[in-house]
Amino acid sequence: MAQDRGALMTELCNDPVMLEHWHPVVSLEELRRHGRCRTMLLDRAVEIVAQGEGAVVRCEAALVGSLVQYGYVWASFGEAPKPLFAVPEFDEADRRFVVTGVFGVQVSAGRAIENFLDMGHFPYVHAGILGEEPHTEVKDYDVEVSQNRDEILATRCRFYQPKAAVSSDAGAEVDYIYRVPHPNCAVLYKSSPMDAARLDVIYIFVQPMGQERIRAHTGMCIIDDASSDLEIRSFQQTIFGQDKPILENQYPRRLPLDPRAETPIRADKSAIAYRRWLASKGLRWGVIPAGV
Amino acid sequence: MMDLAGWHPIAAATDVVRRHVFHGQLLGREVAVWRADDGFVNVWENRCLHRGVRLSMGLNDGRELRCLYHGWRYANRSAGCTYIPAHPADAPARRICNRTYPGVEAAGMIWSAVAPEAEFALPEVLVGTDPLVLRPVSVNAAPGVALSMAEGLVPGGSVARGASVLFGQAGLVVFVQPLDAHRCVLRGVLLRQPEDRIAALRDHDGLLCALREGIEAAGEAAPAPLEVSFQPVDEALGQMPARGVGGGELRVQVTRKWAAAEGIVGVQLRALRGVLPTFQPGAHIDVHLPNGMRRPYSIVNAPGEEGYTIGVKRDDAGRGGSICLHDAVRQGDVLAISAPRNTFPLRRDSERVLLIAGGIGITPMLAMAQALAVQGIAYALHVFARSAAHVPFAERLEGLAVTRHLGLDAAQTGAALSGILSGYAFSHHVYACGPAPMLSAARQIAAAQGWTEEAVHLEYFANPEAIDDSSAFEIALARSAMTLQVPAGRTILQVLQENGVDLPSSCEQGACGTCVCGVLEGDVAHQDVYLSASEHAANDRIMTCVSRAKSARLVLDI
Amino acid sequence: MKLYDFELHAECYAARLMLSLLGVPHEVETVDVYPEAAHLTPAFRAINPLGRVPVLEDGALRFGTVQGILAYLAAAYDTSGQWAPDTAVLRGEVAGWMAIAAELAATAGQARLIETMFAQGDAEAARAGAEGLLRVIDQHLWFGEVEGRDWLCSAPHPTIADIACFPHLVLSEDGGISRQDYPAIRRWIDRVKRLPGFTVMSGVFATSSAL
Repeated sequence: MAQDRGALMTELCNDPVMLEHWHPVVSLEELRRHGRCRTMLLDRAVEIVAQGEGAVVRCEAALVGSLVQYGYVWASFGEAPKPLFAVPEFDEADRRFVVTGVFGVQVSAGRAIENFLDMGHFPYVHAGILGEEPHTEVKDYDVEVSQNRDEILATRCRFYQPKAAVSSDAGAEVDYIYRVPHPNCAVLYKSSPMDAARLDVIYIFVQPMGQERIRAHTGMCIIDDASSDLEIRSFQQTIFGQDKPILENQYPRRLPLDPRAETPIRADKSAIAYRRWLASKGLRWGVIPAGV
Repeated sequence: MMDLAGWHPIAAATDVVRRHVFHGQLLGREVAVWRADDGFVNVWENRCLHRGVRLSMGLNDGRELRCLYHGWRYANRSAGCTYIPAHPADAPARRICNRTYPGVEAAGMIWSAVAPEAEFALPEVLVGTDPLVLRPVSVNAAPGVALSMAEGLVPGGSVARGASVLFGQAGLVVFVQPLDAHRCVLRGVLLRQPEDRIAALRDHDGLLCALREGIEAAGEAAPAPLEVSFQPVDEALGQMPARGVGGGELRVQVTRKWAAAEGIVGVQLRALRGVLPTFQPGAHIDVHLPNGMRRPYSIVNAPGEEGYTIGVKRDDAGRGGSICLHDAVRQGDVLAISAPRNTFPLRRDSERVLLIAGGIGITPMLAMAQALAVQGIAYALHVFARSAAHVPFAERLEGLAVTRHLGLDAAQTGAALSGILSGYAFSHHVYACGPAPMLSAARQIAAAQGWTEEAVHLEYFANPEAIDDSSAFEIALARSAMTLQVPAGRTILQVLQENGVDLPSSCEQGACGTCVCGVLEGDVAHQDVYLSASEHAANDRIMTCVSRAKSARLVLDI
Repeated sequence: MKLYDFELHAECYAARLMLSLLGVPHEVETVDVYPEAAHLTPAFRAINPLGRVPVLEDGALRFGTVQGILAYLAAAYDTSGQWAPDTAVLRGEVAGWMAIAAELAATAGQARLIETMFAQGDAEAARAGAEGLLRVIDQHLWFGEVEGRDWLCSAPHPTIADIACFPHLVLSEDGGISRQDYPAIRRWIDRVKRLPGFTVMSGVFATSSAL
């Protein structure tokens, strides 16, 4: 395992698809705590230093383009990076924004996003929390690639959850909507136990340190006055801690884009759309392109 | 380049203990090695075909290996997928099979090869010995480096077969298992059982550990790991499927034929070569009989057992299939069969399952009960028969949760069914197979007791209804851009087959569900007993062997 | 009884596992260790001056190291006397393995914190240290199987030594340490997972039944 790591780091990412995107590098919360952060982005060492309300990002003394959005510092090596996607819920004043942590994972960004979109593993990997045997069925749902927004949208997703709400012990079907507005970022909307008319937002923003090494930034933007930040963080960390060994045992680590690399089933509609979408962008870094 | 053809020891026999999955590697290829409860040692590529998760993390339940990620189950021996929990109502339509490597257990070790060019042959030095296998010692160094340094381990060593060193006087052989270009395992074997086994194991372990230290301390630059590519899955598997159908013909041998009960023979079929495809509980095979007939029979055994076992009831009034199997087919005969198809799939996302068998209808229920028992899902098997002597495969009922209902008349059967079917709750399912009157009664009683239609699964032996084939109509094939006429006296299926449209079929009387086809336009005159009332009303599928059109034209999704 | 706990912490898992194996009722207070570092605050140092989880509180008693917690729970709540056996040989063996568990925490455990939660330190050095230990443990367990011993100590049953070592070994992959080279450790992990009262943690999965 450890031996495999060196070889891939020698070449710096030169994939225009990755270079022309904004990438999360640190949460404002983490930055506030330590004042600075040294990390990796697309095989390059970067340093983020807090400055006023924002931050400056440097790579080998050179300034790197950056912006602050959704509680994170985002950086890009591109000339004219694509504007960052919109998540309007972050602007709703009555929502709570909780950073649930950042975890290092030995996997490609694509594998992590695909796992975030996946419901079929709930009864196995998140047994007793997000799912429970024998209720294993993934019911049919809709997936579309939104042309005007260039993102993947999966709607009408439903899954049986043993504890549908904090307040109840009874199981019920929970509704989900997934959005993938960025190759390495995904947002999940889930029915709010507090307000039936609104949806909680759970996000994963993946910082690709290298092709097979990521920092996964997770958090929530929710309507909930009952739970403490600590409870919300523990819950989300438990979930992510369960996914981590699965991600690190996916083999190969880079996401294969060839349709014949793995065996999809109907439940994998969103993953298939995601792989096609990445392939259509011409992405080659962090993935195994089709036909290789 | 390393030689991929050679056989190497990849584990000790004692590494593959009961209900465990050993994590091994050979020439850069990772393997998951597991022993089923029947003793068979499986050597599989260490990744689930679904999402690439290592199977060495999986769960060995004795018959099947379950992937940790999505609970996919793969059968002992065949490595075929038997169940996909995300789609519990589907039979896995496609033949999904993990990559396997050959595995041979010999001389206390498990041997395998990446791309063997010859059958396994035990290295000559081990032939006729009762060896003591030493503790494996893994080394962070290239196999070639380890091999040449191992030669100096004790005086008189010589490299044999390119992958092992023999120390004749010491009665020791050291096999160097190439894990990868830069890593290997020293697998030592003593050719004779020593007097003090533990002392010999410890002494030689010390020797091998010292050897490892020497090799690693020599600090030879390790080469880069081997590039391993993965074989792509079949084109059909790369597509997201709707529903599919089973494949072509297989040749099997009748390895056993016996009287399983009054008027019923058991027939055990084994592959002529290799391993038969994996099937799911509830699946059937079509047997091509010497008299030219083709008849479907449910598989009695559960996935993970070798071969297929079927049960055949003699039906003197039938069309002749059962008589031929009873009278003409003998042990040792070779028969052609279809690949298993499952039109009676067992959902395993249930909290409680009732299995109801009438007579020979017990055959699919045995496979289902065994699968449910292994998986720990609550179930009850109810067997209806004329007498105990009429219950076949009694030996398979041992250990199952079975209740026998013997010698009941129609009214008594109805009363018994009422009792069995009381207490329906969400997530309960009932499966029944038996004579038509019993199934009709079960359907009515279940409905009266509040069972939803989706929770009641019936398999008919035959369609009890008289088929009306007097209508004539037109069919348009949407995908093949063909329009065909179906005259009175011919079925849609016959017309399709005559025109070269390949649609699998089996019972050809609207009972088994094999010849199903999607309907895009037109009104269907359903005459099958496979689809439920609401499925009939949905008007989107047709059993092409018996059902016809009410409208002048049907547009089929084929 | 109360356990100050953090779900993803290996040594907290050892404490939870012991409580579960002994069936001792207790409450859990989650400490916001990551990313908030609440264990380093003055408020928490008033509970454990070491600034560490787990901490076990039983009435007026407090134990602030995992070794102390396991030894106390076994002595006070294990009526069978199995978990911390009282013979001279087993006392010596248990103490030895408890020391190795601490070394595992400093190597395999540290590699995990560096890789997963970005703790400071040299991950390669931590892995190299762990590899030396894992080789010895695997060898010890392999000879145990040959000699009819299933657990780290020579008793015919597990002890707190197994529980102290288990979390670091079962979580080693988080720190980039594959267990492929340690087949006897992999089998021992299955045996621990099959103990009655075994409990999982986030990232540790149950295994199949051996029955």
